[in-house]
Amino acid sequence: MSLAQLAQVIRSKNAGPRTTTLDVIFANEADFQRVRTSSALAPPNVARLYDVLAQDVRVIEVPDCRAIKITFPRKLTAGDPGDRDVYGAQQHARLFEVQV
Amino acid sequence: MTQPATQRILQSFARGPRRPLRILGASGQLGYGIPTPAFEVGLAREPDLIGCDMGSIDPGPYYLGSGNLATAPGQTRRDLRKVMAGALRLRVPLVIGTAGSAGAKPHLDKTLALVRQIGREEGWHFRLGVLAGDVDPHIVREAVRAGTVTGIDGMPELTEDEVLASTHLVGQMGMDAFRRAFEAGVDIVIAGRACDTAIFSTLPAMLGFPLGLAVHMAKIIECASLCCLPGGRDTILATLGDESFELESMAPQRLATPLSVAAHSLYEQADPYSIVEPEGRADLREARYEAVDERRTRVSGARWVAAPERSVKLEGARIVGERAVLLAGAADPRFIAQHREILPAVAKVVRGLVCEEALEDYSLRWRVYGIDGVTDAQPGAPSPAEVFLLIECIAPTPARAEEVVRTFKQYLLHFGYAGRLSTGGNIAFPFTPPELTMGTAYRFNVYHIMHTPRFDELFPLTVEEL
Repeated sequence: MSLAQLAQVIRSKNAGPRTTTLDVIFANEADFQRVRTSSALAPPNVARLYDVLAQDVRVIEVPDCRAIKITFPRKLTAGDPGDRDVYGAQQHARLFEVQV
Repeated sequence: MTQPATQRILQSFARGPRRPLRILGASGQLGYGIPTPAFEVGLAREPDLIGCDMGSIDPGPYYLGSGNLATAPGQTRRDLRKVMAGALRLRVPLVIGTAGSAGAKPHLDKTLALVRQIGREEGWHFRLGVLAGDVDPHIVREAVRAGTVTGIDGMPELTEDEVLASTHLVGQMGMDAFRRAFEAGVDIVIAGRACDTAIFSTLPAMLGFPLGLAVHMAKIIECASLCCLPGGRDTILATLGDESFELESMAPQRLATPLSVAAHSLYEQADPYSIVEPEGRADLREARYEAVDERRTRVSGARWVAAPERSVKLEGARIVGERAVLLAGAADPRFIAQHREILPAVAKVVRGLVCEEALEDYSLRWRVYGIDGVTDAQPGAPSPAEVFLLIECIAPTPARAEEVVRTFKQYLLHFGYAGRLSTGGNIAFPFTPPELTMGTAYRFNVYHIMHTPRFDELFPLTVEEL
């Protein structure tokens, strides 16, 4: 199953001008557990998708919100020449097809 | 002369019985419109303080660098008039942080000019506390020399040259600064660059409410009703006690549910369990969210951990050059298939022409929307039927940037590539001229934490009687 079929929210945003943060939020505990216990969003997989180093990827589980938060450094500081997404709000879509 | 609003609330707590504090988060981004119905409902609840955040680092380096506002003057004036009228009518403090989008002197001055003008037009009299957000570059250079400045999230080490290169250099003021304004006895506080939390957490801190709760509450209501389901810009009311706080949107359709409020701690935060402030941090690991009813949630459990030493988060932006762009589209599959060879080839031709009598003093880059304009190209993605080309040049002068993109336009239009069938022109212009001069381009060159022995000199307060 794809992450887009399992999650209620898949979003991205800057957490400060140097960091991208992705939130994946689930509508129910079963879906949250299913993804949490899989390796779908493990740092090496996220690193491959976003072309960053696995050691720079942080994955935080937030059980209260049935959410998985993924954070990694931006390649360019927000708004630097060559940046393509100043707010970082459109970096989420490649998570949609992650298979769980 | 009536008693200033901050004195009034401080004295009412000093003299009266202990009671919960009601704080209105009127707007998360003052200047983009404050919905009147929810704001009026909020006023009817007799809040003790009205707070608005007006800016952020999120919109990028242009606003801080240039000194311009991100919001339109008309809407900004309308929002300011609305919150000033509400606060002065109830005689409660109005606190506005990060004035004018980025909180440096020009932003603060432009906001103050509007505030004074509105006051004059309406015949209002009030005491205005102004907190400047700019940080003296001398103080920062001293800290750089002393080795007490640290880059945030891998930002390169700060040098004195970079400090001097910033067109504007601000620091996020915290509760210390706002406390000085409150103690001076004012009706309205307008602050330059400020922690969005301190707008709301300073008064509770002064009244002895638990700091962990106050900061957690502040972090949520600085975004108005964004923590609700559905999230929105409408005013929110927080009622703070000694054990917990309650959240209620002033728009009836927006529900503050335990899940929606808890999930807000994820938003734009790298660490959802920690809110870092100049004076310490709120630890949210023990936070609890319980429904009061369908529309209200009670939050408790945040713990305050004081920092051993206060620090300031610095933000600065510097000029990188003058920007011009070319806007064009293409619908030829052969052009689209070969664009990765065509665009650098055109750039080479352009360089040969515009550098005949000058150095290569510009940078040229493109974003091909439909392929990789927003993110890196997805492997195996199908070729789109059309693409949009945004060609960008940054050069020392506007004339030079324009020269480069105009030349690029003409040579891209007629560039002969292998297998070309369409000899009429390679690109489509939505209108002419398809080039735009964009003005000065900036980048963030300071995003650092500073420790300084001169902390108490930062963020000076001035008070004016209007």
